[in-house]
Amino acid sequence: MNLTRIIRTTGFRLAALYAALFGLSAVILFSAIYWITSDALRQQLAASVKREVAALKEEQRIGGTPRLTLAIERRIASRPNPTTYYLLVDPEGRTVAGNLPDVSPREGWQGIPLPQTHGGGVADPNEHHLVALGIALEDRSILLVGEDAFQIVEVQEAIVRAFGWALGVTALLAATGGIVLSIGFLRRIDAINRTSRAIVEGNLSDRIQTRGTGDELDRLAINLNEMLDRVQSLMDSLRQVSSDIAHDLRTPLSHLRQRLETARSKALKIEDYESAVEQSIAAVDSILLTFAALLRIAQIEAGTRKAAFSAVDLSDIFRSIAETYGAVAEDRGQSVAAAIDPGIRILGDRELLTQMLANLVENAIRHTPIGARIDILLNDRHPGPIGTVADDGAGIPADMREKVFRRFFRLEQSRSTPGSGLGLSLVAAVADIHGIAVTLLDNEPGLRVVLDFTNTSLGSAAATARHDRR
Amino acid sequence: MKILIIEDDPETATYLQNGLWQHHHIVEHANNGRDGLFLAAGETYDLMIIDRMLPGLDGLSIVKTVRSAKILTPILFLTTLGGIDDRVDGLEAGADDYLVKPFAFAELLARINALARRPPMASTDTTLRVADLEVDLLRRTVTRAGRRVDLQPQEFKLLEYLMRKAGHIVTRTMLLENVWEFHFDPQTNVVETHISRLRSKVDRGFEGELIHTVRGSGYVLREPD
Repeated sequence: MNLTRIIRTTGFRLAALYAALFGLSAVILFSAIYWITSDALRQQLAASVKREVAALKEEQRIGGTPRLTLAIERRIASRPNPTTYYLLVDPEGRTVAGNLPDVSPREGWQGIPLPQTHGGGVADPNEHHLVALGIALEDRSILLVGEDAFQIVEVQEAIVRAFGWALGVTALLAATGGIVLSIGFLRRIDAINRTSRAIVEGNLSDRIQTRGTGDELDRLAINLNEMLDRVQSLMDSLRQVSSDIAHDLRTPLSHLRQRLETARSKALKIEDYESAVEQSIAAVDSILLTFAALLRIAQIEAGTRKAAFSAVDLSDIFRSIAETYGAVAEDRGQSVAAAIDPGIRILGDRELLTQMLANLVENAIRHTPIGARIDILLNDRHPGPIGTVADDGAGIPADMREKVFRRFFRLEQSRSTPGSGLGLSLVAAVADIHGIAVTLLDNEPGLRVVLDFTNTSLGSAAATARHDRR
Repeated sequence: MKILIIEDDPETATYLQNGLWQHHHIVEHANNGRDGLFLAAGETYDLMIIDRMLPGLDGLSIVKTVRSAKILTPILFLTTLGGIDDRVDGLEAGADDYLVKPFAFAELLARINALARRPPMASTDTTLRVADLEVDLLRRTVTRAGRRVDLQPQEFKLLEYLMRKAGHIVTRTMLLENVWEFHFDPQTNVVETHISRLRSKVDRGFEGELIHTVRGSGYVLREPD
């Protein structure tokens, strides 16, 4: 992992950006502290100078210049390591008292460099200067009082130092954090890239590893994996359809060909030809039906209908199917008994749900003998509606129940009845996109198909309301 | 009828033209979308049969354009695009019917006739009458020769549809789509069963048959000969 790649990651850039923003806000904050503190200290210093000047002025008022001189000298003597400096100059410019030589004082505020000799061992003249106030006394001599401003400088230096450290540590943390973050990020992105490359190269079953932390990269990986699952299942379904068409339509097509060839070689009368043509058209129609059913299943499995799902009156579908097939069953010497709870609504596709139920009922009608009874039930249960299509025919052996949903799978005994072997595949496809759980049970005797519509209900609020009403 | 066919496959086009000529229709043919739209917008037809996948301009766009130009000529889509969504798209674009290839010519002919003589959109009729059979759509009652006939809801729907198309052949598929809303081919005799029941209630015991079977095509409800 080279440095350029790390620096170019979003993680690193974000860390750098935050560090820069933090630095900027620190500069503003420290500047404010710097100025406010300096100003406050300077004012304090000035106030102290003013007080001293006032005190000395009072001495002079009481005792004249000699008392003032005495007071100054006493003050100087009391502090061997002075921070306050005095100077009294007579009108002729001669120093009368004080510890500040070589200065020509004037009235008002002034900054005076501290004389080296009085520095108390401190060599740097920049750090030590005096904040001084000079006043003219009544006899026109000038009194100057000054305070060493090194405290201010000291505090200012401390602030700048602290600022420097803070900035340095921030930059270091940001850089390290950014790099650490980026390395982790890059490692996981690389894993995703590696998997993607593997998939592109043909290993479609490969999946990105997730860490289970639920962070954004994990979610990305999960979504990508789900997308891959979907793509794979669609590809499988496509492959399945192609092979179904190739293999299972070959048989009826070869039958058709045989029939036509027989007619060409054996037919003697015009009626023979006519009947061959009729039979051939019927055969082609049946092939086309199978073809259409296959495409329809593939289309349903692709799941594009899901976008058009809306509220559907399931009770209404059950009622009309029961009525439609009640008559059909009766004509075949069978009976249909229906018990349908009213007002059950689910989210789905009316057309597909109708076909699913029709296929189940037709399946029951076609695979049961005369005298059979078919039950069509829809019950408003908790947590969700349950639909049932049950017959008392031969049923399906337990070990075959999973297989009947496969395309073109037909139980041996039903080979004699016409049919494409796609009816239950379509049921499975419709149930799948709706989230309906289909269970095949033994009706003792017969087959009991149970449809659990719990996952299709129109939101939990409606389901609860329905439950409470009972 | 004057019928416009917009179809790019020459074999299908010839098949359609010949078939329709035999049934005394005047046929004009365009083999691409642009010419088709030009004819559809410029001339007056009784019916248009339009393929969906066409060179130049697709059928869906033609129908949308024609409809936005307030041309209300009945349109039938005749296409290999037989998906559920395809049919919905086609009807939403403004087509009146949708027939998937391959098709039986009898089916197409029945649909053409049903479309061409569609009742006006704002039909306010509350009773349908053929000979001595009367259907009250508001009270949902049926009488024949003054005698009350009791029908199941689906039988009523079936009769209503046949009455609305009285005198015209309706095919099994048309009945499945319009009465049962089945857009698939059932594996049992749904239509036959219900037609036979309806017959036993409407025709049996009365003078003259109203519901007739047309071999190879479908059914027709008309006054007895």
